[in-house]
Amino acid sequence: MADRPLLATDRVRAYLTLVPYLLERGQVSLAEAAREFDVSTTDMRTMVEKLTVIGLPGDSGYWQQPHELFDINWDLLDEEDIIEITNDVGLRRVPRFTAREAAALLAGLQMVAAVPAVSDSGLVAGLLAKLARAAADAPADVVIAPSAVDEVRDAVSAALRRGVAVSFRYQAPDSAPTTRTVDPVQVLITNGQWYLQGWCHLREAMRTFHLDRVSEPELTDIPISHADAAVPDAFGGAVDDAEVTVRLPRRLVPLLGDYVRADNTREIGDDVIVGIRLSDPRGIKRVAGRFGGRLEVSEPDTARSATREWAAAGLALYRHP
Amino acid sequence: MATRIPPEERQTNLVVALMATEIGLTKQQILDSVSGYRQRAETGARADALEKMFERDKDELRALGVPIETIGDPSDPTDLREARYRIPKAEYDLPADISFSPAELAVLQLAGSVWSAESASADAQAGVRKIRALGIDGDEPIIGFAPRITARETSFAPLQTAIEECRTVTFEYLKPGEQTPRLRVMEPLALLDFEARWHVYGIDVDADAERTFLLSRIVGDVTVTKKGFDSALREGAGDRALAGLRAVASRNTALLEVTPGTEAALRLGRRAKAEVQGISVPFVDLHIFADELASYGPEVRVVEPAVLRDAVIERLTAIIASHADDAATGRDR
Repeated sequence: MADRPLLATDRVRAYLTLVPYLLERGQVSLAEAAREFDVSTTDMRTMVEKLTVIGLPGDSGYWQQPHELFDINWDLLDEEDIIEITNDVGLRRVPRFTAREAAALLAGLQMVAAVPAVSDSGLVAGLLAKLARAAADAPADVVIAPSAVDEVRDAVSAALRRGVAVSFRYQAPDSAPTTRTVDPVQVLITNGQWYLQGWCHLREAMRTFHLDRVSEPELTDIPISHADAAVPDAFGGAVDDAEVTVRLPRRLVPLLGDYVRADNTREIGDDVIVGIRLSDPRGIKRVAGRFGGRLEVSEPDTARSATREWAAAGLALYRHP
Repeated sequence: MATRIPPEERQTNLVVALMATEIGLTKQQILDSVSGYRQRAETGARADALEKMFERDKDELRALGVPIETIGDPSDPTDLREARYRIPKAEYDLPADISFSPAELAVLQLAGSVWSAESASADAQAGVRKIRALGIDGDEPIIGFAPRITARETSFAPLQTAIEECRTVTFEYLKPGEQTPRLRVMEPLALLDFEARWHVYGIDVDADAERTFLLSRIVGDVTVTKKGFDSALREGAGDRALAGLRAVASRNTALLEVTPGTEAALRLGRRAKAEVQGISVPFVDLHIFADELASYGPEVRVVEPAVLRDAVIERLTAIIASHADDAATGRDR
């Protein structure tokens, strides 16, 4: 539920959809309407109460007549927390999508088009056309380049759908390959990468697997047994992980992506210091490698020297051709 | 009547009033009769203050997608003193012939959940809500997939506004390898997420040619100017932008040697074609690809092109320098 204060325009926007929503659905509980509009029940109650002073224009010097204003069933609201509009003076129809709403949904559709359950439905093309036609103004073109679905992504999706464990070879960076059997819980798709989150039978814990590092996937016939376990924070790191401190210019911070949260950064002049939790601090060498020296690993020393040695080993390839 | 009527009430009253009229209301009629203005007029608010309030309300409602039409004097369209205002139903209402099936709503609900940015997410949710207000309930939600779109660059929002309003923008753009950013003047036509990076595609006014810029290389603020451009330029812009980047990728190929079984072999292998010796991998931006290759350290060696090889060597050298043993010089910059 949103805890930020509602602005006047938020409320106007909500009214334009709330009225047709209530008229279409008849009686709606305060809690349900609040959930639907992502506001607190207190805000929803206030909005519905205030609706009764909204209406058609009145003549100068005169109050509007009751039938010229919206009205609600006050008893029902006071006694049972149920909203019902008993007189309506307009706003009966659902408004068109704003350009922004259409653009946000159009981009979202392109993003989910790769999800097997969606691509199998064959509904995306029709929806794209409908949304474009139902917008008040032409939405800005926001294009999400499609990502390919390969054998691994397919297998993992099938395991999710069938509710069975999937086993595969997993090659984590800087470690020997392992064979894992995982109860799939969720596929996370972010920054163009696919991750499987699920219960790892080997580690007996929830884990996140980068699908690029997965090979030889095979569906098992083991029904999943940990589907309700909490999905881990994919990039937050575990509490007992070591913290690596890095320093970089502020304008490069977005390139750190999901490593950056509100609570792990502080600013010094034009630089930002970020604390990143990693199970192996030396793993930062790969992150630092993307910044060409503009990100500096400060602490711990093991991480700093690992970064230097990693780059030096790379450079050595070019000194001895 | 001393109570002040909050702006949301006044603005909603204005929408109701302008939708209830066929011929339109003049500004004076609105100020005299619509609740929220009327009371202020009665308590002696100055006429110009009320008019300003009406202009602001009109702008805010238009920003919410409410199509407020101005019907001017046909003999002098610039004279707005007697102009009438109305909201045509045909332009306000979601077209009656558009409906959504429960299966479609389920897909849209997933599509509406992908934005991690608060404002885009709120927009997507508001869109889904409108469909729900039609009385449609979705099928069972599509579970097990959490696709996410992130747009962390602050330039994203002003660029989107400029595209919507067909207005020229200016921004400072820092090309890799250059010391100072250069001012670009652009007619932005589309935003494009390609290989997990946001690009803006449009017409570079100084070069008078189509260009694609990376949002991550925009330095400072994007300025949306008052200068407009022809909205016809936007038609099909997204497809052109995508085709353009794909064409670039098909022209640029690197020949690499990778150590089998490593992270580099796995990640690059996805995009690679096997060669007699090593693999060939297409890329869009030399500098971004060099950044990625440098992160693999000794797991990959660039054979060609030479510019890419030099770019990787330069990065590795800089990393070594900035992580020198001498901690005192390294850390107290």
